[in-house]
Amino acid sequence: MTARVWVRRYGALMRNAWLVDLQYRASIVLWVLWGVMEPAIALGIWWSIAGAGAVGGYTRTDFARYFFALTLINQLTIAWDSWYLDRWIREGDLNFKLPRPLHPVHEAIADNIAYKARSAGTLLLIWVAVSIVWPVVRLPFAPTTILITAVAVVLAAVLRFLISFTTGLLAFWTTRATSIMELHAGISLFLAGRIAPLSLLPPVVSGVASWLWFPYMLSFPVTLLTGAAHGHALWVGFRGQLIWIAIWLVACRTAWRAGIKRYGAAGG
Amino acid sequence: MSRARPFAVLGALWKLNAAEELQYRANFVASFASTAFYLLTALLTLSLFFRHASSLGGWDFWEVVVLLGVFNALSGLVEAILRPGIGDLAAQVRSGNLDLVLSRPVDAQAFVTFRHIDIWRLADIILGLGVSTYALLHVGRFPSGMQIVAFVVTFVAAALVVYAIWVTLMSLAFWFVSVENIATLFDAVFEGARYPVSAYPAALRFVFFYLLPVAWTTTIPASALTGRLSAPTAVLAAGVGGAALVLSRLLWRAAIRHYTGASS
Repeated sequence: MTARVWVRRYGALMRNAWLVDLQYRASIVLWVLWGVMEPAIALGIWWSIAGAGAVGGYTRTDFARYFFALTLINQLTIAWDSWYLDRWIREGDLNFKLPRPLHPVHEAIADNIAYKARSAGTLLLIWVAVSIVWPVVRLPFAPTTILITAVAVVLAAVLRFLISFTTGLLAFWTTRATSIMELHAGISLFLAGRIAPLSLLPPVVSGVASWLWFPYMLSFPVTLLTGAAHGHALWVGFRGQLIWIAIWLVACRTAWRAGIKRYGAAGG
Repeated sequence: MSRARPFAVLGALWKLNAAEELQYRANFVASFASTAFYLLTALLTLSLFFRHASSLGGWDFWEVVVLLGVFNALSGLVEAILRPGIGDLAAQVRSGNLDLVLSRPVDAQAFVTFRHIDIWRLADIILGLGVSTYALLHVGRFPSGMQIVAFVVTFVAAALVVYAIWVTLMSLAFWFVSVENIATLFDAVFEGARYPVSAYPAALRFVFFYLLPVAWTTTIPASALTGRLSAPTAVLAAGVGGAALVLSRLLWRAAIRHYTGASS
């Protein structure tokens, strides 16, 4: 009974989000392009550096696969919520969302699913098209790998959503919530593996990363898909994802409760 | 359209503009901090590449840092002048505010280009050139007077090329109204100008050379500073800059001729 209600609710929210996105097709293409250029530039540089040999165990082919997987998984896990929340809170759009009988977080989740389906779907088509003319980026088809990666991608998407949402909630207290998110993005450039596979970082840096949530946002699912992570790394990866999801969930709920209390006080 | 005293008009605009921006001094700290952080990540990225390589496309570490400084200066120019000025064109076409500009007795293209300047971002230009200077001093390769002249000429040419790209992208607004995010296209590709063109594989080089020609904009002025630029290339770059200016002018005229106002 309740399950059916939630399916109906999410169906409506996602249809709505899908139709809203449909109006901004050109914008979405531009955002996807923006998401493609950063890994494309990094791949270009590593490709030249690797030459005919290997860098830290990575050959040209490995780099190509790594950055193609990264582009796709980044698009599947990216969350823009801190920017939306920042605007909702600063401009008062949140006022219209609060009286609804549904927590605003559900709208944000539905938006994410619709956006990711569209943008990642586009990227997947591009990948398939490229792999026809450029065999280097073909991945061996292994159903188990894809299944395990899918689970890790969902967990990474949850983690990144919680981080983005929580950071956006900081707009209750500061006008620079999006700057904090930019700072986080800058750090994730290195610690999440966006600029290079983590194993190419100086050992001290990748050591620090392993104590934080960054590798579980992106690097872990990417190495799963390219087949670089197995055995013990699998266990460490999933454990890390679950631990950090739990921590950010608590942070998110705490920030929401405290923020709403403060927001009410300020507006009333 | 008479173009009486364009500099007096611009001067008055900038005075207003400065008075407006000076109210928000905290923005200077925020803007400076974000640029400094951006430069820091760029330098860390570079040192990561150079952990595994001794050169990028034949450029050593400090030469690429010189280029990075030029890139930062150029993107400061984009953020300070182009984005708030010509970057706002699409919104003005859509809202109809362009009609108010066109009816004024000033050169509309110059007015739209320079009407609003984000003065805090001008600091990025100084910061960028500072980074380049530091890198040059660090390796003790002080550029000669001739090299500095070549740098200034090619840097101005690069700015004109970037300007022409923006005019081209923004002019699309006259034909297709909803192109407000088109600047994202520039941002995405301009990132490629952070490294020397020679550091890329052929396919990417093609994109940066011909599709959106941002490669010219940083590699050539930086080459002038590091003494890699030949005289013919410098002359060619100056020619390309001049051609870009003419092109942006022609494009603007064609777009305005096509434009019929928001109300019709």
